[in-house]
Amino acid sequence: MARVSRKRALAVSTPRCSVYRWDLDKTYLKSEFDSMRQLVKIPFEKPEDKVAAPGVVALIRSLRAVGLAAGLDVRVYFLSASPPQIGKAIKDKLALDGIVYDGIVFKNQLHHLVRGKFRNLREHIGFKLAELLKGRHEQPPHAREFLFGDDWESDPLIYSLYADVVAGRVSEDELRAVLAQIPVDPQQIEDVIAIQRDIVRVDAVVRIYINLERRTPPANFRAYGPRLVPTFNYFQTAVCLFEDGELTVATVAKVAESLIEGSGYTPERLANSLADVSRRGHITAATTAALWQYLAAQRLLPPARAQRRRRRPWWKTLTAAVAEWMRSPNGKPNVAPPLPLDYRQLASELRGAKRHEVST
Amino acid sequence: MRAIAVDAMGGDLAPDEVVKGVAAVSLQTNIQCVLVGDERRIQEALERTEYNPEHIDIHAASEVIGMAEEPKEAVRHKRDASILVAAQLVADGRADALVSAGNTGAAVLACARHFKVIPGIRKTALASVYPRQTEYPGQDHLALLLDVGATIRCDALELVQFAIMGSAYAKRVSKVASPRVALLNMGTEPSKGSPELIEAHRTLASMPGLNFIGNIEGNDLVRGKADVIVCEGLVGNVALKLLEGLAEVMVDMAGAAAEESWRWRLGMRMLAGGVERLRELADYTTYGGAPILGFENIFIKAHGRSPARAIANAVKVAAKAVRDGVAEEIATGLAGGR
Repeated sequence: MARVSRKRALAVSTPRCSVYRWDLDKTYLKSEFDSMRQLVKIPFEKPEDKVAAPGVVALIRSLRAVGLAAGLDVRVYFLSASPPQIGKAIKDKLALDGIVYDGIVFKNQLHHLVRGKFRNLREHIGFKLAELLKGRHEQPPHAREFLFGDDWESDPLIYSLYADVVAGRVSEDELRAVLAQIPVDPQQIEDVIAIQRDIVRVDAVVRIYINLERRTPPANFRAYGPRLVPTFNYFQTAVCLFEDGELTVATVAKVAESLIEGSGYTPERLANSLADVSRRGHITAATTAALWQYLAAQRLLPPARAQRRRRRPWWKTLTAAVAEWMRSPNGKPNVAPPLPLDYRQLASELRGAKRHEVST
Repeated sequence: MRAIAVDAMGGDLAPDEVVKGVAAVSLQTNIQCVLVGDERRIQEALERTEYNPEHIDIHAASEVIGMAEEPKEAVRHKRDASILVAAQLVADGRADALVSAGNTGAAVLACARHFKVIPGIRKTALASVYPRQTEYPGQDHLALLLDVGATIRCDALELVQFAIMGSAYAKRVSKVASPRVALLNMGTEPSKGSPELIEAHRTLASMPGLNFIGNIEGNDLVRGKADVIVCEGLVGNVALKLLEGLAEVMVDMAGAAAEESWRWRLGMRMLAGGVERLRELADYTTYGGAPILGFENIFIKAHGRSPARAIANAVKVAAKAVRDGVAEEIATGLAGGR
């Protein structure tokens, strides 16, 4: 009883703090660096040449607006593996988009180049993990974090590892072994180990959102558990953030509106996106119904679709339920993997995927 | 265009290959698809593949009609079967066309139950495209044969209507400006064949809007003489199966011959490029499926063993037929022929 009171007292005395950490390329920006030509063009791009992913600007603005309106401490950070030399163009782009942020970090590639550590130019896991952990030091211990990345490199692994390190679920030895397996540069491994030692262990990361820019099958992320949500567009992300209590229904509508007005989306496409994220189990049926009702009234979704379901005989319903129960272990569908995740397995899968990409 | 309803549970490889095919379409085009069937199994299959959810909806149907089931019985008893629900979606205006790789008889019955027949059409026809020799550069390497099994026996008027429907389909989907239409018969003379064929020949020859070239014989089926070949269902089905069987036997014989002598093996190696081209030409997965013509709505029947590629092409053909107004063209052709 006393413990509950202390918790309540803490909640009253300190404003709730929400931290939103964003990756830049392929998450915030629609960066095209699939070919050498596109890669070479990037440093010469002007802020107005850079294109934000559809709906992302409205989403970030909404997150801040909702938090501030509720009297919360809202913090937005960007973390990029791009060199600081293109930082000005990116900062100007964020200013153009009207994005207010609290910090932005770039990767000092020149530093690795000068030291002859060429592998570090392409390997970002050590860098990103170290920066995330450094960033955690700057947050109040009770700060809740939402992380946003994409399916191009290693964001799911980096973010999940970060979440479990901060929560104290990954031991120092385990962390060292996983990073060595990836393989992260030994010096970077020692840096990461040193930084994480002083962190207050809190289960801070609420959700990890992965933008499926490459359309990676969502089933590929099941091993990361329900904390990680793969989404196909920022409307789906907004819908899940509404479920998490970070957005209001009106701000979800703003994201939908920005997609329709700015990116040629139709109410039908948004409806399909909502139905998909609902079927994948990331939002409840009640949330889906509430959102559909509100957004349809705003003409952002078509009227609710009637599913013509015939009444099945009771014995068919019973046999279907038994078959479903027998198919799922412990009688529970979508059983989440236990925490901490099997990072050695995930790291070996990542290595395998990278090798496959190089060979193809 | 609204959407294409796809029977996700129909076919030997359903739902996985059907879902994969629709997923491929969702990434390549803006065509909206509604997958009809077991929601949980469809979603599971979707999540294992690359797809764009913005172009895919799922509509639940709790029952499936198997490939070996007796169509009439199955349609009567399985009222929530995926093919019936999908046809209902089209009839209700939720979708514009239907694609199924499932039980052909059940699919035709589902369409007959829910779709309206174009006014004036007596019988619907199952059409099939097949590869043939071309006569001039730019000629479509596919010809249309109808009917291939929907109507076993036909009278003269029905054959004439098949000719109009086939010509409209070739005009709109294959983009042949003036498709050459022929009757499949046992001789080229107008007086040859059954009384129905003679009567049909007379009527077709008097229709100014139709490029009717007369009768052709079986050996002309695979040549480039006609773009649309009309016959009754029994003959069409036998002819189509004969063509398929011959192609398979040719490939098997060539393989067996190559095993007998190193000279033949060497020859086969040298011809490998050409053989591969022929194989591609004869590959049914590239054609997408056979349309059932005569309904106000489009129905594309994909092969029962359709892999993802065939399903994807069937969906694209269905979308093309809707976009290009095949049903409207048939109605116009029919009005002109009266």
